Amino acid sequence: MPIDKSMFGRLSMLLMATGFAALLASGAGMVWLVGETRSFATGVVSSQDVRIAASQLLSLVQDAETGQRGFLLTGEERYLAPYRRAVADLPRELPALVERIIADGGDAAAARALQQQVEAKLAELAETVSLAQSGAVEEALAVVLTDRGKVVMDAIRQAVAGIESRSLARGEARSEGLAGNARLLLAGAGAAFLLMLAVTIGAGLLARRYTQALEAAQAEVTAANTSLEERVGERTAALAAANDEVQRFAYIVSHDLRAPLVNVMGFTTELEAAVAPLGALIAAVEREAPALITPEARAAVLEDIPEAVGFIRSSTQRMDRLINAILRLSREGRRLLHPEPIDLEALIAGLAATQQHQLDEAGASLALAPGLPRIHSDRLAVEQIFGNLVDNAVKYLDPGRPGRITIRGRTTRSHVLVEVEDNGRGIDPRDHGRIFELFRRSGRQDRPGEGIGLAYVRALARRLGGDVECRSTPGLGSTFRVTLALTAPANTQTPSAEDSPA
Amino acid sequence: MNAAPQAVTIVMVEDDEGHARLIEKNLKRAGVFNEVRHFLNGTAALDFLVGHGRPEHRPLLVLLDLNLPDMSGFDILARLKADPQLKPVPVIVLTTTDDEREIRRCYELGCSVYITKPVNYETFAQAVRQLGLFLAVIQVPPTP
Repeated sequence: MPIDKSMFGRLSMLLMATGFAALLASGAGMVWLVGETRSFATGVVSSQDVRIAASQLLSLVQDAETGQRGFLLTGEERYLAPYRRAVADLPRELPALVERIIADGGDAAAARALQQQVEAKLAELAETVSLAQSGAVEEALAVVLTDRGKVVMDAIRQAVAGIESRSLARGEARSEGLAGNARLLLAGAGAAFLLMLAVTIGAGLLARRYTQALEAAQAEVTAANTSLEERVGERTAALAAANDEVQRFAYIVSHDLRAPLVNVMGFTTELEAAVAPLGALIAAVEREAPALITPEARAAVLEDIPEAVGFIRSSTQRMDRLINAILRLSREGRRLLHPEPIDLEALIAGLAATQQHQLDEAGASLALAPGLPRIHSDRLAVEQIFGNLVDNAVKYLDPGRPGRITIRGRTTRSHVLVEVEDNGRGIDPRDHGRIFELFRRSGRQDRPGEGIGLAYVRALARRLGGDVECRSTPGLGSTFRVTLALTAPANTQTPSAEDSPA
Repeated sequence: MNAAPQAVTIVMVEDDEGHARLIEKNLKRAGVFNEVRHFLNGTAALDFLVGHGRPEHRPLLVLLDLNLPDMSGFDILARLKADPQLKPVPVIVLTTTDDEREIRRCYELGCSVYITKPVNYETFAQAVRQLGLFLAVIQVPPTP
């Protein structure tokens, strides 16, 4: 599937977004995991603290019991030292332990039960110690023998063991969680890495495919251009050859047509000259012997022959003009162009000045709009194009209104468009193409001409890399639009002095 | 009628007999009565001018058409101008072609006058009569 530009853009955006999301997710995961790890670590430490505190509590209670036992046995106050230290410390240590347990998430009820048991133990110890101090050692021993203290002490041991084991279990669970988190972190980082790797590879492949597609398209365009250029070159050469042939043909034909015409014209004139003495003879015979002259002979010499000669002469002259027109067109086709810088505005203004006399005679005015560019073209050809068009505009004005001829132009990237507009009699739409053909004319044939001018204009405009077209409304006027290349094309043929019509 | 040097001839190379006749008529009307040797093709004309039948004396003038059936008038012009003996003979090209390049080429090859045969007969006759005037002013070459 070919990748186009917008698709490439969308895909690469998608890949980038995916990569960014993966990065973001893995970052967020890290932050979360670090937090979790920290809380696990804190938990592990606090579980440990609970265990230490519990064992310290137990040892304090044992110290108190040891002091009591030593005092009861010996009756000496100095054995009471551990008891007193423990009794002094326990009211501080006991609530602290309870708090720690609760803060560690331990069993609050068990903690409180421990507290009560410890208090009960301390009460039993205090009772016995005070009995012994007051001298009632026997009664104190009796209290001990009730096993009240032992039972409580066992319960305390058990509770402390329970607290320790639960706290240990919690710590282990937390260590487990910590390890799990570390694994999760590793897995997450690995997954993010894999995802980013995939995104990178995907982006690379995409870019490569897009580049390949671009290169292929470029190669295709280059190939198409090359073959197009070749085809254009071939066609141009073929057209130039065909054009050359047509030009040569027209040239040869017009020369060969001229030779017999010289004879027709020459001998017609000779005939006319020969008729003159005959006319004199008829006149003489009419005077001397009128009976000899038949009306037919008289009509033949004085009317028929001169009439025939007249028609032959006018037809021959017309044929000569037509041949000259073909010759002129063929010559124009063979003439080497001499492109030079031309100020179109000055050139057309100059043409208008030379036409001023005809304009005045026709009562017409010519307006030249400013803004015509400078071009690089063949001066003679450009002059002939606009000379013919202005000539036509003046020639076919409408006698019913004052003639107005406007010439304006504008420039495109490669061509100049010049419009020669008149308010003359106009041209029938059926004839808009035909008038550019040789010897074709349109409308009333009340003006002299052979139908050559516009054919000539078209041939010239085309040689200068342009064309001419006509828009017209009968009765309103005509506009001839000439396009000319800003830079006239190079000569396509090379007529040389070696060309001969033979 | 002037006593023209009868031995001096005008050589006319013209494939169109009508044209030849019209030229002769108008030369006579212009008062040129020299003998006119008419050739309908280039081969015969060259045979007469530079071949075996080479005349003892040089012709007064060569009237040459460019469009001949067997060769181009340029070839005949070049042959005449390459011949040391015939080189001084004036050659007048009288043809239908009025192409600038051909006119230039004829002058380059050494033709004396180039006249276009106009279809208009009055102009044609005028051109031939001017030829008569031209003949009147050129010196009759001294016989060697």
